[in-house]
Amino acid sequence: MIPVSVITGFLGSGKTTLLSAVLRDPAYAGSAVIVNEWGDLGLDHELLETSEENLLGLANGCLCCATRGDLARTLIDLVARRKSGAVTYHRVLIETSGLADPAPILHTLLMDPTIAESHRVEAVVTVVDALLGAETIARHPEAAQQAMLADRLLLSKTDLAPDVAALEAQLAELNPGAPILRAVQGAIPPDMLFAAAARPEALQHWLDVTATQSARHSSGVETISILREDPIPGVVLPLFLEALAEHAGEKLLRIKGIIRVAEAPEKPAVLHGVRHVLHPIQWLEDWPSADRRSRLVLIGQGIPQWWPARLLEALEEEARA
Amino acid sequence: MNPPALRALIADSLTLWGVAGRVDIADLGVRITINDLVLHVTQAAPEEAPMRWWLISETRRRPAASMLGLLRSLRYALGATSAEPARARVAAPP
Repeated sequence: MIPVSVITGFLGSGKTTLLSAVLRDPAYAGSAVIVNEWGDLGLDHELLETSEENLLGLANGCLCCATRGDLARTLIDLVARRKSGAVTYHRVLIETSGLADPAPILHTLLMDPTIAESHRVEAVVTVVDALLGAETIARHPEAAQQAMLADRLLLSKTDLAPDVAALEAQLAELNPGAPILRAVQGAIPPDMLFAAAARPEALQHWLDVTATQSARHSSGVETISILREDPIPGVVLPLFLEALAEHAGEKLLRIKGIIRVAEAPEKPAVLHGVRHVLHPIQWLEDWPSADRRSRLVLIGQGIPQWWPARLLEALEEEARA
Repeated sequence: MNPPALRALIADSLTLWGVAGRVDIADLGVRITINDLVLHVTQAAPEEAPMRWWLISETRRRPAASMLGLLRSLRYALGATSAEPARARVAAPP
């Protein structure tokens, strides 16, 4: 499986600077890079592909279900060339445009069967300008959306804005579980951004931190966490996710969880989803820590705080009856 | 599921769907009042299995085999469905 990561961030935040620095790392030099703003790109890389920003909306008009047909075609073409031996790469890095919503990109990576059979989503890294980020997020919903969907938040230009406490607090409200890292001119070990984000320990950390933030924030974003001591019957999971998608899908930004399933309590099930699109359930060989409780965290807007827990409880009760 | 828990879940569901209404405990379930519309949700009797719930209006009794089905029926009955409800979409397995 080829790991694929998304680098996003608002206009001028420093995405290309980061990408250039990442590609100088020998372990990442052999990456395929897909960008969509290459007209003014100062990037010199052997395997550079472009992808137009055309969104192909589906009939239901759901923005997150818009497929990035251009991105899919670019990736499929790359894979074909890789198979034929015309190009070699071991990783894909996608740099979005500054105004892009990462959700359709993730949707394409997850839902296109040709891409999903050969790629796995590794991380979404959102670059935030330390100097202008707070104002940008306040003014532009796109910037807030990019921060909310991040696995890693990277503050750029911290040499120009040494005091980032307010910005960090703002980002922690939007996405409390994403570690906030700092870099000047993209100087950061790339593994801290990409590989580390895909490890089970990263999920554990995200859940631990986010679960303590169950509250409605000034941004209107709510973090809702569910903790279960007892294992959850396996049959409940698809019903719960179906109900969640059907009734709260458009209000749900992100869902992550580690579940102790009654039928296989030693192998935790990992849930990841962006809006109502879910990664296939991943089964870990073992728990990442001694804490074996089921934990589920939802980030959304307009979802009553106790609705998901009440729904889960009702479905559990039905399964046990 | 006891009536207070049912009432809480239904009341939260109305909020989620943007429906202003009142949910009271009544008989073996709850009564939902939205302007002139009154609906009842009651738990099905054990002998009615696999049905678990009834959604009752003045003109119709609609069964549901799970909470998932009940919420779907209720939302439909209230006319609170979105044009194209989102379905859970699970990405292709590796």
